[in-house]
Amino acid sequence: MNVLRRILGGPVGAILLAFFLAACAMLVAGVSPADGFQALFIGSLGGKQQIAETLVQTTALLFPALGISLAFRAGLFNIGAEGQLVVGGLAAGAVGAHFAASTPIAVFVLLACGFIGGGVWGAIAGWLRAQFNANEIISTLMLNFIALAIANYLVSGPLKSSAAAGAETAPLPGSSWLPLLIPDTRLSIGLLIAIAAAIVLRWVFTRTVFGYELRAAGEAPEAARRNGVNMPRMTFLALTLSGAIAGLGGATLVTGVLHRFNTQLSPGYGYTAIAVALVGDLNPLWVCVAAFGFGILEAGGLAMQALADVPKDAIHVIEGLIILVLAARRYIATRAEGAPI
Amino acid sequence: MSSAAGVFIATLVTLTLIKATPIIYAALGGVISERSGIVNIGLEGMMAGGAFTAVVFSGITGSPIVGLLAGIGAGALLGFVLGFAATVFKVDQIVAGTGINLVALGGAAYALMLLYNQPGASPQVNALGSSYWILVALAFVCALVLHAVLYYTPWGLRVRACGENPRAVHDAGLHPLALRLYAVILSGALAGLGGAFLSIGEVNIYSDGMTAGRGFIALAAVIFGRWTPWGATGAAIFFGFFEALQYVLQGSIGWLPSDAMQAIPYVAALFAIAGLVGKVRAPAADGIPY
Repeated sequence: MNVLRRILGGPVGAILLAFFLAACAMLVAGVSPADGFQALFIGSLGGKQQIAETLVQTTALLFPALGISLAFRAGLFNIGAEGQLVVGGLAAGAVGAHFAASTPIAVFVLLACGFIGGGVWGAIAGWLRAQFNANEIISTLMLNFIALAIANYLVSGPLKSSAAAGAETAPLPGSSWLPLLIPDTRLSIGLLIAIAAAIVLRWVFTRTVFGYELRAAGEAPEAARRNGVNMPRMTFLALTLSGAIAGLGGATLVTGVLHRFNTQLSPGYGYTAIAVALVGDLNPLWVCVAAFGFGILEAGGLAMQALADVPKDAIHVIEGLIILVLAARRYIATRAEGAPI
Repeated sequence: MSSAAGVFIATLVTLTLIKATPIIYAALGGVISERSGIVNIGLEGMMAGGAFTAVVFSGITGSPIVGLLAGIGAGALLGFVLGFAATVFKVDQIVAGTGINLVALGGAAYALMLLYNQPGASPQVNALGSSYWILVALAFVCALVLHAVLYYTPWGLRVRACGENPRAVHDAGLHPLALRLYAVILSGALAGLGGAFLSIGEVNIYSDGMTAGRGFIALAAVIFGRWTPWGATGAAIFFGFFEALQYVLQGSIGWLPSDAMQAIPYVAALFAIAGLVGKVRAPAADGIPY
């Protein structure tokens, strides 16, 4: 009984709930759930292109969700993955437009730019928290909008491509593109990088001293501090790394999918990723599974609208409700003393 | 002063007031919620919910007043959801607030398709017309009333005590969870009113993304205004001024691009939260479930 309760109260329960809510959304729209789900799954898993698109969405969600998991594990509320992803993508796009080298080197350099860009954006929040005890929830949230404003300014001004009609950077040379994982689709090896990142993150959490201290800082901050964990340093590092992972995601979107930077890079991946991280229980490997589930929703949502007349925005309502339900579980150990919100 | 400059200044002042009004309402909502100890990240969603519902009900009944009341009700309902989750289920307020935003913004887009079968924007409905000036004035009345209630009534004292030390409120024989719930419902109602002002006050439709981050700007105003009604109102006017400036100047003045102006509220809040513009002290129990 207890086992059942644990399973249902966790990610599995959330997924069942998602199906139930999706069925409700379909019924409200006057569509039988059978037709709706059929459209959803045909649109996301019905063929090579559809599966590839689902995995593109999975990749886009996985990076920020891993970053968020890392910060949450350290007891820090990073809701700035969206901004960190944008800055990472912007850094990759800005450098990539003016940089040519042979493929492995060029791609590596651009991904590093994204990693650093996102890292800097996370580091600002980390520094503000470590130095001034400025609550990271507010700072990361505000930094999202600052990132968007900067990106808007740069792509419509200094970085605007003279060739493009819209506000975007010049396209990346072909040598800077991430190689495709499945030919003739949009799916690049970014997916493999994301999965590798998840495996590394799990290793860090479970097998390294840093990971142990990070989790200790999140779960028992007072005990961690008394046992010699340098809390300001841990705060700074956790938020920086968290941002860097999200930024790496932005760079894979630029080098793997868009091949340029524009501000339509993310339709809110950084916010949806909060749900992904929570459904995945902040455990990197489960987060991969959760990202695939949300990838199905994101990719299948459009087909659901086209084939079954269920507005695709239902997907976001479902995501929001999942977050609301999962909020009841305790994720963030109270590191609240002293940090004004 | 030349008459051209006079017209310019009059336009700027007028627009500042109009642009500040929805932010003032939402920011006042943020103040009362946070003073009771609940962080309301969901202000943005509550504004969108209010804006959308106001249009729907104005469309059905033909009366913008009914629409306005429905908008307030929708905000209050979302406030109730957050408050109920945060008090009875003791959920993480930030996570729940993020959920509220997704549900409200996605729900409005979803319902837009279901009700009007068109994405992006609703049809035109009856709006408040020139009487929306009453709402502009009412925003300041609300600030005054909230100030009076928070600082000069027993209820206000209790709400503030909830935000500082809910345990003490409980020991005094009161119900901190109930007080917090009422505060968040009121918070949602104010944000809903701000949203309704956007949709049936300034214009006469709801369009996706119309709140455009104003709920988050309001959150910034709460912090920049140091959790007081007048401070938040002042911050909202300050932020509204820069929004108005962008309209009046048609984009940018040479050295200050409009994107930079859009970032001003967020940068200001960042400075405020870091304590760089004077001492900032949030309610001691803000964000902590009781």
